[in-house]
Amino acid sequence: MDFICAVDIGGTFTDCIVRDSAGHITLAKSPSTPDDFSEGFFNALAQAATQMGLTLDELLSRTRLLLHGTTVGINALLELKGAKTGLITTRGHGDALLIMRSVGRSAGLPIERLLHVSRHRKPSPLIPRSLIKEVSERIDWRGEIFLPLNRQEARQAIEELLAENVEAIAISFLWGFVNPVHEIAVREMVSQMAPDVYVTCAHELIAKPGEYERTAATAINCFIGPQMSGYIQRVQQRTRTLGYKRPFLIMQASGGVATADEIIHKPLFTIGSGPAGGLIGAHYLAGVLGHTNVIATDVGGTSFDVGIISQGRPLMASETTVNQYTFFMPRLDIESIGSGGGSIIWIDPLSQTMKVGPESAGADPGPACYGRGNLRPTITDADVVLGYYNPNNFLGGALRLDREAALQAMRTVADPLRMGVVEAAAGATQIAEFQMAELLRQMTVQRGLDPREFVVYAYGGAGGAHAAAYARELGCQTVVIPLGSIASTWSAFGIQSADILHVYETSELLIAPFDVERLNRIFCQLESRAREQLREDQIPDDRIELQRFVEMKFRLQIHRIEIPVPGGTLTDRDMEALEATFVQTYEALYGQGSAFTEAGMEIGVVRVMARGKMDIPPINPPERLAREAFVGRREVYWREYNGHRSTAIYDGTRLQPHTIIEGPAIVEMPVTTIVVRPYTVGRMDAYGNFVIEL
Amino acid sequence: MVTHPEAMTGIRWDGRQYPYIPQEPLCVDPGLKLHTETAESIDPITYEVIRHAMWNINVEHGHTIMKVSGSPICAYGHDFNPCLLDERGNFIFFGPFLQYLSSATSSAVKWTLEYRSGNPGIEDGDMFLTNDPWIGATHQLDVTLIAPVFWQGELFCWVGNTLHQWDLGGTSPGGFNPVAQDVYWEAGCIPPIKIVERGRLRKDIEEEYTRRSRMPELVALDLRAEIAGCYVARERIKQLIDRYGAAIVKGVMRKLQDDSERAFVRRLHTIPDGTWREVGWIELAHPEDRRIYRNCLTLTKRGDRLIFSNQGTDSQAGTLNSTMIAWKGAIASMVSAQMLFDQMFVVEGAYRHMEFVAEPGTITCATFPAAVSAAPALTLLQTIALAGLVISKMLACSSDEQLRTEVQSCMGAPMYPIAAISGINQRGAPYTSFLLDPVGAALAGLAWRDGVDTGGWPWDLQSTMPNVEDNEWFYPILYLWRRELPDSGGAGKFRGGNAAELAFIPHGTDQITLFTATGHCAVPGPGLFGGYPTSTTRYTLVRGACVSQRARTSGQLPIGLQHLEGRVEYLPPKAFGVIQHPDDVFIMSWASAGGYGDPIERDPERVAVDVRQGNVTQQWARRAYGVVLTEEGEVDWTKTKHLRDRMRRQRVDKPNSPARVDGTNKQMVAEGLELMGEYFYCRRCGHRISPLSENYKLHCRQKKFPIQEANRYILDPRTYLDDEVEFRHFYCPRCGLLIQTEIARPADDPLWDIQLVEGDK
Repeated sequence: MDFICAVDIGGTFTDCIVRDSAGHITLAKSPSTPDDFSEGFFNALAQAATQMGLTLDELLSRTRLLLHGTTVGINALLELKGAKTGLITTRGHGDALLIMRSVGRSAGLPIERLLHVSRHRKPSPLIPRSLIKEVSERIDWRGEIFLPLNRQEARQAIEELLAENVEAIAISFLWGFVNPVHEIAVREMVSQMAPDVYVTCAHELIAKPGEYERTAATAINCFIGPQMSGYIQRVQQRTRTLGYKRPFLIMQASGGVATADEIIHKPLFTIGSGPAGGLIGAHYLAGVLGHTNVIATDVGGTSFDVGIISQGRPLMASETTVNQYTFFMPRLDIESIGSGGGSIIWIDPLSQTMKVGPESAGADPGPACYGRGNLRPTITDADVVLGYYNPNNFLGGALRLDREAALQAMRTVADPLRMGVVEAAAGATQIAEFQMAELLRQMTVQRGLDPREFVVYAYGGAGGAHAAAYARELGCQTVVIPLGSIASTWSAFGIQSADILHVYETSELLIAPFDVERLNRIFCQLESRAREQLREDQIPDDRIELQRFVEMKFRLQIHRIEIPVPGGTLTDRDMEALEATFVQTYEALYGQGSAFTEAGMEIGVVRVMARGKMDIPPINPPERLAREAFVGRREVYWREYNGHRSTAIYDGTRLQPHTIIEGPAIVEMPVTTIVVRPYTVGRMDAYGNFVIEL
Repeated sequence: MVTHPEAMTGIRWDGRQYPYIPQEPLCVDPGLKLHTETAESIDPITYEVIRHAMWNINVEHGHTIMKVSGSPICAYGHDFNPCLLDERGNFIFFGPFLQYLSSATSSAVKWTLEYRSGNPGIEDGDMFLTNDPWIGATHQLDVTLIAPVFWQGELFCWVGNTLHQWDLGGTSPGGFNPVAQDVYWEAGCIPPIKIVERGRLRKDIEEEYTRRSRMPELVALDLRAEIAGCYVARERIKQLIDRYGAAIVKGVMRKLQDDSERAFVRRLHTIPDGTWREVGWIELAHPEDRRIYRNCLTLTKRGDRLIFSNQGTDSQAGTLNSTMIAWKGAIASMVSAQMLFDQMFVVEGAYRHMEFVAEPGTITCATFPAAVSAAPALTLLQTIALAGLVISKMLACSSDEQLRTEVQSCMGAPMYPIAAISGINQRGAPYTSFLLDPVGAALAGLAWRDGVDTGGWPWDLQSTMPNVEDNEWFYPILYLWRRELPDSGGAGKFRGGNAAELAFIPHGTDQITLFTATGHCAVPGPGLFGGYPTSTTRYTLVRGACVSQRARTSGQLPIGLQHLEGRVEYLPPKAFGVIQHPDDVFIMSWASAGGYGDPIERDPERVAVDVRQGNVTQQWARRAYGVVLTEEGEVDWTKTKHLRDRMRRQRVDKPNSPARVDGTNKQMVAEGLELMGEYFYCRRCGHRISPLSENYKLHCRQKKFPIQEANRYILDPRTYLDDEVEFRHFYCPRCGLLIQTEIARPADDPLWDIQLVEGDK
């Protein structure tokens, strides 16, 4: 018997999930330890070991794969507590990182803040101007050297930075991704002069045009590098001491894992990996259930995250914005709005109308019904008022809710609007559900996808209560609330299901008709790098999966879309097919007649996604207690009836597979409470998922 | 919205020779039924759900345009905006993109209702297109498409959008022509035409439209983008009506307008009645010209009405002109930014209380057939800057402290520096384009904090500069530098944001043809309340700099004019067909943002931080701010006090130290002025400056300086002009506080810019 362990660090808890070779699963949760996250890491593992009757080193020495999701990197970035970093860049262009293409003053702001221009400002610089050093060198767009590197200036720049005691040096030259010789030369100089300083060259991270986004990525990588690499090395060291011998794998925002040795050099790729775990969990489950199109939704306390699986593949994005810094990074396309259980319900004084969010009561003090001092009503309070949540059996009884406090808080909004308290609560949930539905719409319709062809997955604490409502709004037929108790560590479950993923890409301009020989050469180079890396990651050849893509666009147009390319040696016929697929995909995305074929087509980026497929045992259906699931009735408000109904309550852990539950009903699970709305039908499937047909 | 000077009767404001000014009630053909039924009360939940849905319908409308168009103008330049209007063409929502487009769509709808409802008629499924700047566009390149939404035979509301086109014909590719003498040199004007008839795109009309363009396929694609946007918005509005009922949806629309109006009026009630003025100068009506022209904006607040007037503005000339539609949109964009930021920019609430009084035949209210295609870069943009300043002067008088945080000086790039390049690119293909780098602009100094360096504009919330690599990829150029200019932001208690400069050489081509169109090359934009003006825009050509050879010999790249050898030429703000050879360097910098308040009132610590961060030089710290730093870069407090005392002595003979008593019921009217009873007082020392009934400036100590004193990037104006300008300071005669600055011709009277009494005197 051997194990696969995944540990995921969240804001409050560190979750651990262990799967044995027979598919049995053990879950553990331990408080996160922000002073040194590695403590929480080993506490959670130890707790799982105890539950399994093992010691920590017994568990680890029998562990076949150890996977980890961490927020150490993004925390350092958000709190601006990273390393003292210097930047070496092309002379005349040191301000690129400060100018932030101007849009840094408002990038990524939610609409309320975007409209308030007098409050716009750029974030404090990751690297102050005094630590940005310019060096004479110049490469042009072709990669030809216009001016060779001035080594004397480079040496002086490094010396000046070292005199300032920088801990990290970012190197980013104009067009360095086309011809990296100058970046490499400067890196070698740094390694000789200061072997202990953390160094990143831009071309190693990103191979795309756009000096701001590339330099920002490099700067951030350096900014978080020393801290992240220290943390990872510490954890890796100790797992080795405890007997784990195989590669230690870290979750990336792209939805795949990479070895610790690689992440130490590219910690950037972990930024935003938090919600990635959830989507990869959904992807895994979608494979098991045979769903090819899934809208994966995570309704948490403060935010609502949505990712899309279309035709069996999670949708990806190539750019991200954190703290108003925009940078390149392959990541899962997950969008998020400030709407969740903790969202505060309030009255706009001017229009005297009800608003929900984006302000949130968070986890602490949390909703009014938590009784921790917040007196303003939240969506969770509304759910309590409506009778969805059982104050005595919330999250499996983990938290006792104060219904009176919820009512009290709700009244502060209902009274001034001259509404009944229940009416106000129903209205508030409706507003929140419409906001959520709108994000679903944006993620599908605006990407050329028809939401009616999708199944909605809902995880996160408040998912069960609201998913049916927002799914119905989009015309979706089915909602899946996944895997019972496993959902409590959903993100860790996702990480455990992830493949090793490396993205290799290069910017190449090819204009149609495409030069097939050149494309073959490029793919060949990228693929041999990919194979080499995966072998180093100890992936056997038969588990290596390489997928080819090109990013194509019409000339004079901006939309780049990713088009898959067949494997093997490409022929002219493949090129013709490629053009046809592009036009077809373009029109499916952007509308009939939108393809501007007269302008001609071009390829801008060539990409290989290299996966090391993991050997993961299938999950086992949970054991069910043969006891009556019906536990009683209570009064619940349903807006479909415009009033209360005595409603059947079920204990979800006792539901037998395939039992049909007709709405209205409430199913209480340890992680979430499922609201089976009137005119819908729910059932537990063989794996322990709760499925609602709308 | 009332918009006619009463004196000018007999003029037909119908959008032909004179701009279209709707007269309410609109004259609509009786055969067209307008839907007006409105639910009296709507529960707050339904209201919020529909409001949210309508906002998102407009967002989806915008995304659809971006998707189908795929045009960089749209996606990166944000040169478009979708909107939702009621049955009479009044705004519900206006998208968060270019704000100055706002008056155009509304005007286009109203004109169409008045002049097209009888013939050819307005029917379900129709869409109308126009680019006529006298009717419903800011200039001919901004094409407006509007679509009525019908419900059960009645016109329920309108959806519409405006999108900038690559080219619509005329003598100059891309549409800006700095030598145009009248509108016939430019792309033709199309009054509203029914291009989609009962759901079908009319092929004949489409070809009539696209045929004029040098890039007809692209124009056809953008037309489809505009149609698709309107289509999506129209269908979703119908779904809303289907679900909630027409009266309820209409009720939400009215409530949105009413709520925004209430918020706006509530703000107006915190402000005393008065009149505020600002003047901007714009150089050269055509390449051979050496004169400056006056753009004057007056804001009068009377009760709950705001009256904007262009009185005192110079007659239309050369290519400087904009139409009244553009002028109104320019003003409305700052009203939204400064007074409707928390009302989702529902500008209708404000429009109900705004009057526009424009003298026709002027550079801000041109009559047909004046050349107007360069309006957005020139007069329109400058009017936005002036509007921001007069609104700020008004808001400074508000008793609402929160509202006063919106007070701001002159925005950066207050005219757009067009630098158009054309020729054969590095891949052997012809190209023509203009540089988008100046969208980096800069945000102005506020009453409580500095402006944002290269922080864009206040009326385009997401302006995005291209990367250097983007431009080197598209065009045969190699950038030598692109960097922020230290000291460029107007000095002030809170300084304006710094602007930037770029320089390139031709790379992979034999030559580049340049043309320029802008203003603010000789005369900067104004500062506010003692703040210094912006820097100026500058186009420099260094002939025979031979950068590639010299760099290879020295191993070093030049990063400023001071590092270049060669002959320096300053190109005028209207230049045509200038050739740049491979050995020549082209340098362009744009005007920064203006400063707020007296620079020597600036906290010396802020100056020290600026110097440390490289935003301000030591020399400028001394000269503009009177701040002396130690060798370690810390404030030398003794020397700073000494220097500032000396500067005050240069302003007034025996400056008295402040003896201001707080706690009186004085009301702030400017950073350095407050009001009690019938008099203005100095806010620093409490000195009684002037009676309310007179221009306070006439009672200030006045000093005149050459304009180059205002900012170290300003050249001697004689480089460009025969006209003279001077930089005036107005000090408190007692303590020497710099209360206001102004830029004027020597013969001009001091501008009475803060006038809190009835009537013009």
